[in-house]
Amino acid sequence: MSNTLRPYLNAVRATLTAALTLENFSSQMVERHNKPEIEVGNSPEVLLKPLIVSRNESEKVLIEPSVNSIRLSIKIKQADEIEKILCHKFTRFMMMRAEGFVILRRKPLPGYDISFLITNFHSESMLKHKLVDFIIQFMEDVDKEISEMKLSLNARARIVAESYLSTVSCPI
Amino acid sequence: MSEYAFRKINIDALEEEVLLPSDLYDPDPRGPDGVLSDAQRKSGEVRNLVSKGDIPGALNAILSEPPYGEGVDQAKDLTTSSLLLILNSTRAAEIPGILKALDQEQQDHLMAYIYKGMAAIGQGSDVSGSVLLNWHAQLTEVAGVGCIVRVMTDRRTL
Amino acid sequence: MILLESHSVIINDVLTDRFEKASRADIQFVDYDNVRFHLSTPETKSKILLSMGIQCWPDLLKYGAREYLQNEYQQYLLPQEQTEPEYDVSLMIDLEQLPESVEDRNSLISKLSHLKSVAMSSPFLSAFQEQSNLQAGYKDAGGAQQKDFTSEQSAETKGELKIIRYREEEAIYIQASNDRVTVVFSTVFKEETDKVFGRVFLQEFVDARKLNALQNAPQVRYSNREPPLEIRHLPGLHNGEDWGYVTFVLFPRHFSNPTQAQSTINRIQLFRDYLHYHIKCSKAYMHSRMRYRVAEFLKILNRAKPEVATAEKKTASGRTFRTR
Repeated sequence: MSNTLRPYLNAVRATLTAALTLENFSSQMVERHNKPEIEVGNSPEVLLKPLIVSRNESEKVLIEPSVNSIRLSIKIKQADEIEKILCHKFTRFMMMRAEGFVILRRKPLPGYDISFLITNFHSESMLKHKLVDFIIQFMEDVDKEISEMKLSLNARARIVAESYLSTVSCPI
Repeated sequence: MSEYAFRKINIDALEEEVLLPSDLYDPDPRGPDGVLSDAQRKSGEVRNLVSKGDIPGALNAILSEPPYGEGVDQAKDLTTSSLLLILNSTRAAEIPGILKALDQEQQDHLMAYIYKGMAAIGQGSDVSGSVLLNWHAQLTEVAGVGCIVRVMTDRRTL
Repeated sequence: MILLESHSVIINDVLTDRFEKASRADIQFVDYDNVRFHLSTPETKSKILLSMGIQCWPDLLKYGAREYLQNEYQQYLLPQEQTEPEYDVSLMIDLEQLPESVEDRNSLISKLSHLKSVAMSSPFLSAFQEQSNLQAGYKDAGGAQQKDFTSEQSAETKGELKIIRYREEEAIYIQASNDRVTVVFSTVFKEETDKVFGRVFLQEFVDARKLNALQNAPQVRYSNREPPLEIRHLPGLHNGEDWGYVTFVLFPRHFSNPTQAQSTINRIQLFRDYLHYHIKCSKAYMHSRMRYRVAEFLKILNRAKPEVATAEKKTASGRTFRTR
C-alpha cells in the first residue's frame, strides 16, 4: 500500500463520518413529498458546504452534505487509456446494478467516475459505521481491481502473442 | 398572449419569505477594503514569522479574523496562499503541538483552509496532497470530527 | 484453447461420421470471415456435396485459386458450371469410391476440412513463387553488375501487390520482393474497448518477438491510424482511430518447403480471427471478474444492514404464534 493512500482514505472516512448526520426532512416546496435535498438543490438553507478530499489531481472525492442526504462522488485514478476504459466499464457495470446497491447513484456527477447518494432512510436502516466502511473498502478495492485487470490483460496478450508466434516460427 | 405573461413571473422572488444568500450570515463588519488591507498586513507578517521559524505565531496571526463572504476574493486568495505557505514549511513532528495550542475557532478555520487547499489541487496549486492529508489527519485527531461538522455548517465561506 | 484450429471442425466431424455409415445430410454452417458452407446429399445418401461460399472469391480467382484447388482435390472438385448456385466452390464426395485404408481416409477428411484454408492459400503460394523467381533474378543481376551494387540495393525489385478483400472492410495485402514476402492486414476495431485492447495485444506481438526463443518468427510491425508504406499508395484506405494495420514480414525460411509453407499460411490467414477472438475473450474475462467483484461489494454493503432479530415469540402459556 502506498504511503499516501492511508491518509487519503482516513481523511475521506473522517469527512464522511462528519457528513453522515442526517435527519428526516420533508420537502419545503411540494406538500407531502420527501426528497433528497442535495439533489433538489433549491433551498440553500438546507445545503451545507461541499468538501473535497484529494490525494492528487486524478484522485479525489467530493462530499456534498445536506440536511437529509449526502452525495459522494469519487474520481478514480486512471493513468492511461487502458485504465480509463477498464474504469469506465467497471463503474458502468456497477451503476447498471444500482438497485442492488441502494446507495449507488445511477449517474456520476460530471467530472467524477461514480457517485453515491445516501439519504436519511439509508442511514436509518443501515449501520452508519458499516456504510462508511463500505465506501472506504470500495475505494480501496476498485483501484486494486483495475490494476489487476490491466495486469491480466497484459499477461494474456503476452501469452497470446508468444504462442502465436511460436507456431509460425521455424528453425533455421 | 400577453394575458398569460403573468404566469411566468417568479413569485418566489417577490415574496417576503424568500431566502437570499445574504440572509444566511452577517457580512464582515470591516468592509471589503478593510478586510483586504488586513489580509495584506497579515500575509506580510506571516512571511516574516515563517522566515524566523515561528510557525505557531504565524498560524495564530493568519487564523484570527480571516476574510469571509462575498466580494473579498483577493483577500481570501492572499490569506489562503499565506496559510498554505505555513503548512508547507512546518516539520511533520511539530504539527501536533502546534495544533493543540490553537483555540477551537482557529482549529475550525484551519480545517476549512485545508479543505480549500485540497479542492485547489490540480488547479495550479503548488501544495502536494500528502502535506494537506497529513495536517488533516493530525487535526482530526486533536479537534475531532466535530471540527469537520463545524466547517460544513459554517455559512461564512473562507 | 489458445490457438485456433485452421480446419473446420464441423466438416471433420460430419465426414468422419458419414464415412462410417452413409446417411442423409443437409447442413449449412459458417466459418470465420463470412465463409459459408453447405453440406448436403442432393441425390443419394452416398454422394456428399460440399459447397463453400467465400467473400473474396473474385480476388482468389485472380491468383489462381481454381487451378490450385483442382490440383489439391482433383476428382472431387466439380467443374465451375456444376457448382451449387450461390456458392463458389463445390466438391462431390462419392462414399462408394473412398480410399481403402484408414490412413488415406483420414487424410482425405483432413484435406476436405481444410477447404477454406486451401482456397485462401493460393495468393500466398503465388507470392512465395514470385519471391523465389525474384530472388533468382536478383542474384543474376547482382552478379552481372557488381559495380552498381549500391544502386541495386536501393532499387529492390518488388512483385505485384495482391489484395484479398476477405471481409467487407478489411483486407490482406501480400507483396513479394527479392528477399521477403510482406503480408499486411488491415483490421477495424468497431468499439472503443476493442480498440484499446487491440492496441495492447498488437504491442505484445511486436514485443514478444524480442524474446530469444522467438527470434525466428516473422517480423511483426503494427501501426494504427496510418497505413504502412507498402500499401500507402493504394486508393480507398482508411485512416482513423479505429483502424489497425499489421505487417508480417516472411522470410524464405518460413516457406522453404511445402509443409512449412502450408503451416505458415494456415497461421497467417487466421491472424485476424485470432486477434479478435482473444480480444473478445479478454472482454468476457473482464466481465466475469467484474461480476464477481460487484457481488463482493454487495456483500460488504449488506453487512451494513443490521440483522433483524428473529427470536421466537411465545405466549404466557408457552405456545408459539404461527403466521398464516
